[in-house]
Amino acid sequence: MEIDALVKELKAFKGVSNVSKIRNSVIKITMEKGESKEFFTEVRDNFGFEHCSLISAIDNQPDFELVYHFSTIMGSVTVEGTDMSVMLEVHIFLERDTPTIDSISDLWGGANWHEREAFDLMGIYFIGHPDLRRVLLPEGFAGHPLRKDYVYEIHEEEW
Amino acid sequence: MDMSREKIRGNPSLRKGLGSKTTDSTKIMEDPPAGDWLVLRSDQLLKWIDDAVYNVAESTGVREVVDRVTRPIFNYAQRFSPHPLHFGIMCCAIEMGQASAPDHDIDRLGLVYRSSPRQCDVLIVNGPVCEKLRPKLKTLYEQMPEPKWVIAMGECAISGGPYWDSYSVVAGADTFMPVDVYIPGCPVRPEALMHGFLTLQKKIREKEPGMFLRR
Amino acid sequence: MAEMWISMGPQHPMTHGLWTLKVKVDGETIVDADPELGYLHRSVEKMGERRKYFMNTTLTDRLCYASSTTWTHCYVLSVEELMNVEVPERAKYIRTIMLELQRLASHLMWAGAYMPDLGHITGALYFWRDRELFLNLLEVPSGSRLLYNYIRIGGVKRDIPDGFQEKTERVLKLFEQRLEEYADLFENSTIFRMRTEDVGKFTSTQAQNLGITGPNLRGCGTEFDLRKQDSYEIYEELNWNIQTREAGPGYSDCFSRYMVRIDEMHESIRIIRSCFKKMPKGPTLASSIPIRATGEAFRRTEDPRGEALMYVVGDGSDRPYRWKIKSPMFTTISACPHYLKGYKLADIPAIMGSIDICIGETDK
Repeated sequence: MEIDALVKELKAFKGVSNVSKIRNSVIKITMEKGESKEFFTEVRDNFGFEHCSLISAIDNQPDFELVYHFSTIMGSVTVEGTDMSVMLEVHIFLERDTPTIDSISDLWGGANWHEREAFDLMGIYFIGHPDLRRVLLPEGFAGHPLRKDYVYEIHEEEW
Repeated sequence: MDMSREKIRGNPSLRKGLGSKTTDSTKIMEDPPAGDWLVLRSDQLLKWIDDAVYNVAESTGVREVVDRVTRPIFNYAQRFSPHPLHFGIMCCAIEMGQASAPDHDIDRLGLVYRSSPRQCDVLIVNGPVCEKLRPKLKTLYEQMPEPKWVIAMGECAISGGPYWDSYSVVAGADTFMPVDVYIPGCPVRPEALMHGFLTLQKKIREKEPGMFLRR
Repeated sequence: MAEMWISMGPQHPMTHGLWTLKVKVDGETIVDADPELGYLHRSVEKMGERRKYFMNTTLTDRLCYASSTTWTHCYVLSVEELMNVEVPERAKYIRTIMLELQRLASHLMWAGAYMPDLGHITGALYFWRDRELFLNLLEVPSGSRLLYNYIRIGGVKRDIPDGFQEKTERVLKLFEQRLEEYADLFENSTIFRMRTEDVGKFTSTQAQNLGITGPNLRGCGTEFDLRKQDSYEIYEELNWNIQTREAGPGYSDCFSRYMVRIDEMHESIRIIRSCFKKMPKGPTLASSIPIRATGEAFRRTEDPRGEALMYVVGDGSDRPYRWKIKSPMFTTISACPHYLKGYKLADIPAIMGSIDICIGETDK
């Protein structure tokens, strides 16, 4: 389908707001946390985004923000006759006290370790993830380092 | 049959295939006949060597003579065949690999990379040491037999390098193991690595005597 | 038969880089696998928040040490998108030349590390001898052999000196002859084919779902290259083709992944030659580069290993608020149970070598 048709369909979806286009091959939307699992199933099956590129977690001081990036590979969404690959950027905001969301690792196998990393470094819990444990830091590490209120000692040496 | 500990300890015929469950040496085996070194246990063999060979050589001056004769030979062998461990952490490891390439050819100094730490002389630390890696690196260092040397290659191994303000990088390899040669650079050029090995050779010549009869 | 877990730990001659691969074997056949990363975690993202935008290029160089220009380039592209900086034409051509030379050096590093896995230790010397030629070439404009810090925000650090084009042409001519020699040595060798054909198979659909991109995906016959599909620099104006191979309809094995990279090396030589022909004169650095930035931006580029993506968030100050790095090898290593199951323990070096692992970028 054409990218403008996809934009129209997304605007009509429940829970979606702020639909915009960046540099004519990227669609950026904001999504609510409650409808996320149905929306992502729709994204994979109907719209045809086969590749989950990245799941990032940002700590805006009062609340958390999750940013998902998806991409097409086989060209199910096209841009006016070119063969550019289209990307979808989804922003979901989470409360500071309950940073939990449904996991999408059963939809895309590549999302498995991205979610583990978001848990490891930022402390966001994914419900339904098969194996949520630390991936980059050692096992006994306490705390989630990429949060803005994480305090650590920087060893400066005297010259 | 009751396989509890007390039963087995008193019944030597049951011990075959179960391993020794006691560390008390007098209960495991009887003492062998004195003087017959072929049937000794390992700690008794060392004691026999101490009594019959080492103390005799020390008191009669033979050890001094043997050391003097073999010291240059063993030192020569250690200097010109340092066997490093096949261990690469980060960018300096790529330059270490490129140094074995035909253009620089560090192999002519006698280096043969070995995969097992039990067969190595030199441990080259070539990258930042993270908190997760530190116990494994310490284990690798302790698995190497004496005499052994450590080369800290690159800024990350000397002092943490560009990652000095990270929460998970240790500030240098010399915080938890003794380092012999420091090679600065980021990354270290292959010529600098060769100079580092020549410095190590000089250090072995001056400081590390090759000993024959050694405790 | 008894099943047991074998741990190929951090120090192992097969694993290129520091990571642990635990495999569960039933006799000699692999039943399950469990990789473990994190031995090189330097917290580059947190350190990037303490440094200014232009200082982070020294950190991105060291992300993947085998192909460092491409990671700096990805970061610089996303920051230029954030700050709205226009790059002059000549700088784009120079950047493309450096990127393709870096791609050649990275593939040669991979090939030189792959041969000892299969037992052909002399093969490492062949490829690393040629890599030395390209490192000397890359040293001419930038001054360093491995970690260049050459691509800056707004252009490149300085113009290429005179005589660079002749030097490059000489090296490329010599390298083309050598590639023909290697074709005879490796592709026509029965033992090499026996060890790499029908081993480590995965289909294109599996790869797309599991997050495998780059030459590993092109080895399944899928035509997906970010230099055409999400174009950057001047790749649109050059005339070049996407190289694909497949071991059968829609799936790849180690031999097709090897051949894809050799084909890419041939294609890179053509791209460099056509860049030199078309390069215009002009400035190499943008005239005004802002210091502060607000908003968010991301760009993705075609790393020699796959799709690299950097997502930068600015909050109005001169340091990034949040900087996220996506590495192609992170998801490829996580998918290793899928392409290791069913093969023998002795096939592990051949399979994991053909994936082209670089641990520096996965552990950030």
